[in-house]
Amino acid sequence: MPREFVSPRNEPETPSNTFSYFFREAVRRIWVSKRNSFVAIAMIAISLLIVGAFLLVAENLGRAAAQWQGKSRIIVYLEPTVTPQQVQAVDTFLAARPELARRRFVTREEALARFKSYFANLSEVVGQLDDNPFPPSYEVEVDPRLVQSRGLVNNIALLRGMAGVEQVQYDWQWLMRLRRLVNIINVIGLVAGGILGIAACFTIANVIRLTMVLYREEIEIMRLVGATERIIRGPFLIEGFLQGTIGGVLAVALLFVLYEAARRSLAPSSSILWSFLFLGFLPWQKMAALIVGGMLAGWFGSWLSVRGNTSDAT
Amino acid sequence: MIHFYHVTKRFDRYSTALHDITLHIEKGEFAFLTGPSGAGKSTLLKLILRQIEPSEGQVVVNGRNLNAMKRTQLPFFRREIGMVFQDFKLIDRMTVFENLSFILTVLNVPPKEHKKRTYQALRNVNLHHKLNAYPQHLSGGEQQRVAIARALINDPLMLIADEPTGNLDPELSQEILQIFAEANLRGSTVLLATHDRELIRASGRRTITLEHGRVVDEKARTIERPMVREGLFGIGAS
Repeated sequence: MPREFVSPRNEPETPSNTFSYFFREAVRRIWVSKRNSFVAIAMIAISLLIVGAFLLVAENLGRAAAQWQGKSRIIVYLEPTVTPQQVQAVDTFLAARPELARRRFVTREEALARFKSYFANLSEVVGQLDDNPFPPSYEVEVDPRLVQSRGLVNNIALLRGMAGVEQVQYDWQWLMRLRRLVNIINVIGLVAGGILGIAACFTIANVIRLTMVLYREEIEIMRLVGATERIIRGPFLIEGFLQGTIGGVLAVALLFVLYEAARRSLAPSSSILWSFLFLGFLPWQKMAALIVGGMLAGWFGSWLSVRGNTSDAT
Repeated sequence: MIHFYHVTKRFDRYSTALHDITLHIEKGEFAFLTGPSGAGKSTLLKLILRQIEPSEGQVVVNGRNLNAMKRTQLPFFRREIGMVFQDFKLIDRMTVFENLSFILTVLNVPPKEHKKRTYQALRNVNLHHKLNAYPQHLSGGEQQRVAIARALINDPLMLIADEPTGNLDPELSQEILQIFAEANLRGSTVLLATHDRELIRASGRRTITLEHGRVVDEKARTIERPMVREGLFGIGAS
């Protein structure tokens, strides 16, 4: 006997096996529209790759900044003609102040040797000079918490006025510039990625729209036999979600491959400056964020398409 | 079961498909809807399925006023109707089995039951050997029977068919009508739109005739109870 009419309130809107149906259908549709799906996935991957590249550079510069911040330094450059008495006076001045007491004297020879080791490519140029151009200096380690204290600023001013002192340089000045740079890189990455991400969303939306046109007749049939909008839309939403996920995973994988290739080809021959960029790959949280970004972009793109398109009355 | 109260359907100022239709089809009834092409048969069926809404009047199906039905309730309402479309509306990329089991997915039937129920539905229309065929590889008659099996797979409260025997030879038409008669015996209300007067005459069932969008003739049924086993439509059930 036929069943009595079942009120929608008493019947679950989606069947228990719906989700496996959504996934099967979504995978099949991606496969059927391979070319369009490829474009959507590529757009997501490129957008996230660009965001990821900026994040990676910012991450490594941030790591370098953190390393340096742990050993914030003042460098007191002495005049090349400084006398031993003047050096002694500077040393006494530093020793008398607890925040400046952790000091190390760097001779001209040591400074030259360091330069040669850091900048191997330039060592020949320096070797051609008649005289050692590097002045002697004091490297003073300062507690990072004191770097902006009034007392320290006053002491630096006093140091600058001492005989035999040519220049006093604080690491944290450019450290702060570096931090600003890291922030700018992050912002540029997010803005560029955001713009590309929006473009990727619309690409996905268009791909899904095309798929929907392809399945227009089928959607009509589904609606006539009693499929809910959720059942009709589900595979399209999952399709966008899968495209976004694949794009996200692909972006992280590509970024890793490019990072490794760059690290191997650039790092050995380059200076310490390059090594700042290869301190490590993105932490897992940021990798996950990129993939989740892809998922959301895919979901949002397909949602844009299905939002109005499937609800036409039939 | 199906009630039309002064229903008019206009598509635009110059084209009125139905004029002031009032008709009632009771639960368990088997009725034919007939009339020449353009008489309004398909429009009337579309109103029952709420593919379109009336310009005036009320359509009440199974106690529900379709004018007042919310869009979210529509799928659940349609699940109670087995509809056989004139152009079959089978999904070409799906096999016969998938075309039917898809309905079961929509209807929340556990997947483990799909095979059994699909096979049974196809057996009823004598097409169980075509489970894995694609619709485009079937003849018109076979596609029609798949569409009927799909409409019947859930033992619907109502079975509505739009020209289900169009383009079929008379013998096949009788076979298909036999299937409808059996569904009617199982309790489904059947409304069948056709312009094949020979079929209607042979059946002796209630007939509603439309012309230019108006009911011009209603012939009450002449047989009290359909006797399928004895060959209601001129052939014996086999």
